[in-house]
Amino acid sequence: MRLLVVEDDADLNRQLVTALGEAGYAVDKAFDGEEGHFMGDTEPYDAVILDLGLPKLDGLSVLENWRRDGKTMPVLILTARDRWSDKVAGIDAGADDYVAKPFHMEEVLARVRALVRRAAGHASNEIICGPVRLDLRAGRVTVDGAPVKLTSHEYRLLSYLLHHRGKVISRTELTEHLYEQDFDRDSNTVEVFVGRLRKKIGSDMIETVRGLGYRLGDPVEE
Amino acid sequence: MRNKADAPPQEEILAAAKPVSRWRKRSLSRRLVVVAAVWSVLALAVAGFILVSLYRTASERAFDAQLEVYAKTILSEMLPDAASTDVPRAQQTQPAIQAPKGVIEPRFSLPLSGWYWTVRSGETGRVLFASESLVGDPLSVGDMAGEDTQSAFGVGPGGEEVRIRQEKVRFGNASYIIAVAARTAGFRADLAQFTRMASLTLAVIGAGLVGAVFLQVRVGLKPLVRLQASLAAVRRGDEDAIDEDLPVEIAPLAVELNALIHSNREIVERARTHVGNLAHGLKTPLSVISNEARAAQGPLADKVSEQAAIMSTQIQHHLERARMAAQRRVIGVSCDVEPVLSRLCRAMGKIYQGRGIELEQVVPAGLRFRGEQQDLEELSGNLIDNACKWAKGRVSVTLRPLTSSGVGRELFELVVEDDGPGLSEEERREAVKRGKRLDETVPGTGLGLSIVADLAALYGGRLDLDRSKMGGLKASLVLPAI
Repeated sequence: MRLLVVEDDADLNRQLVTALGEAGYAVDKAFDGEEGHFMGDTEPYDAVILDLGLPKLDGLSVLENWRRDGKTMPVLILTARDRWSDKVAGIDAGADDYVAKPFHMEEVLARVRALVRRAAGHASNEIICGPVRLDLRAGRVTVDGAPVKLTSHEYRLLSYLLHHRGKVISRTELTEHLYEQDFDRDSNTVEVFVGRLRKKIGSDMIETVRGLGYRLGDPVEE
Repeated sequence: MRNKADAPPQEEILAAAKPVSRWRKRSLSRRLVVVAAVWSVLALAVAGFILVSLYRTASERAFDAQLEVYAKTILSEMLPDAASTDVPRAQQTQPAIQAPKGVIEPRFSLPLSGWYWTVRSGETGRVLFASESLVGDPLSVGDMAGEDTQSAFGVGPGGEEVRIRQEKVRFGNASYIIAVAARTAGFRADLAQFTRMASLTLAVIGAGLVGAVFLQVRVGLKPLVRLQASLAAVRRGDEDAIDEDLPVEIAPLAVELNALIHSNREIVERARTHVGNLAHGLKTPLSVISNEARAAQGPLADKVSEQAAIMSTQIQHHLERARMAAQRRVIGVSCDVEPVLSRLCRAMGKIYQGRGIELEQVVPAGLRFRGEQQDLEELSGNLIDNACKWAKGRVSVTLRPLTSSGVGRELFELVVEDDGPGLSEEERREAVKRGKRLDETVPGTGLGLSIVADLAALYGGRLDLDRSKMGGLKASLVLPAI
């Protein structure tokens, strides 16, 4: 799962990126509206955390531009202007949820988790596929009830595949959603992570669809 | 539960603003009409008085002239005939006079006809000759007191009032006083008739004048009435500015008022922007501080966390109240309720999408809130948000006009109910306490309800909390409508 944080306050930006990274997300950051808009426009994010009071281009305009260009990723807006008129304007511009400043990091994490889950069509905080069970709130994976230790990249890979359970996901798509922007990408590493994950959760859980990519769980009609 | 009387009605504030005298408080048009009427009546009364006395003087003069003609005739009748006098004038020591004979005027011969004359000796005052009409009764005359002619009112035979003209004439050494008198009854009747007619005419003119003044005031002050109506429309929020198409005398007033309204709006807008900027400026560092402290461990981190939390609630509290204080001064704003609620419900639906909250709306169109749209959004937003937060699955939003409010102004009621856990009676009472300190706020209810109660009270409305039939909280918000 890959996220974008657009926040002009360097400290807050760092805190968000750190907290989200610790929660198992690949996180990119932007410090102004133009940069944020460009990144959101060119990279496939699973969710965006967008501050409304941004330099160069304000958050509301960034959001409106994305929606106009057909970008549908869930957007959580952060706003210090917490009047209902501001919140409603944000929602009307295409935001999916808001968090008013000052906020506790746990709240942002919970909202982001809910947004990502909702966007993938899951109603609960637990995604189950056969013996594999992912608790999104705790960031914990169990196989047949036994906890499994995963690295952050393994966790992201499993989480993305589980969120899109039953669908064939290409290597490119996986790469795009696993790594931060400035990570040295090599599609081979995806295969390495898939291999490690198979060892930890069972080799038959992740199916390789030749020439197309990977699939977790029974195929679904798209 | 607060009493309706707690709301500060504008009329009371106006009345308490400044003690004004009864006269000043009265209407301008009544003032103008009263002054004009008093002046007209006084002027006409004086004119009438002058007119009547002029008429009286002229009538008396004409009467006297008539009497004088008779006196002259009597005098000429008294002189001895030149033809019958053989004695040369030079030999005559005492000029001989004779009783006036012949018919001077027939009425002098009829007894008590009202027309009389006498000739008296200038020296002794003895009556030498008198008209037949006197029938022996005396004609009481005034003292000549050295004058040669005198006109006065006196008493005739039978006690009737007469006008008497006396004239002193000399023949040689002897002098005679010829007095002619006539009854004044006719003269008096004429005068009374004239006075009556003059009064009537002047009264009609006076009434006409007062009517004209009234009309003039009505027509003249019409632009003021228009100005008032225009100002009222601005206050109600029907118009943005006062109509400046007015007479030159009061057009500057309208222009100034418009400038005032405009600057009022600008000041509020500026204050709001400042408050927003301040909020933005403080809240981001506060987020950083509290998150940093929560991530760290130890007593210092705990203290910082705790203080940051207090700071953020304090900021929230005071910013909210500063915004409210800025709000009240704006006059002449209103907004449609239905679009605001629809927008809010749509937004809430999206925000609470994941929880599967069913939002039932009964929101008729056409109601207008007498106040700022942002405030209505804040009031209803907090209520609906609160309901969605606590609801298990259903929230209902109902809007209805309060027609029989009985307080002489239009109101509407917004009821938001949920099927959540609700609040106990104690908690409900606490939640809507006005001007509540944040650190005393009942845990779990948040600031929302106390802010709603405060803001509603500023608008002269109120927030009542009750147990809903759906199981949770029922919040009824009453606000002024147009």
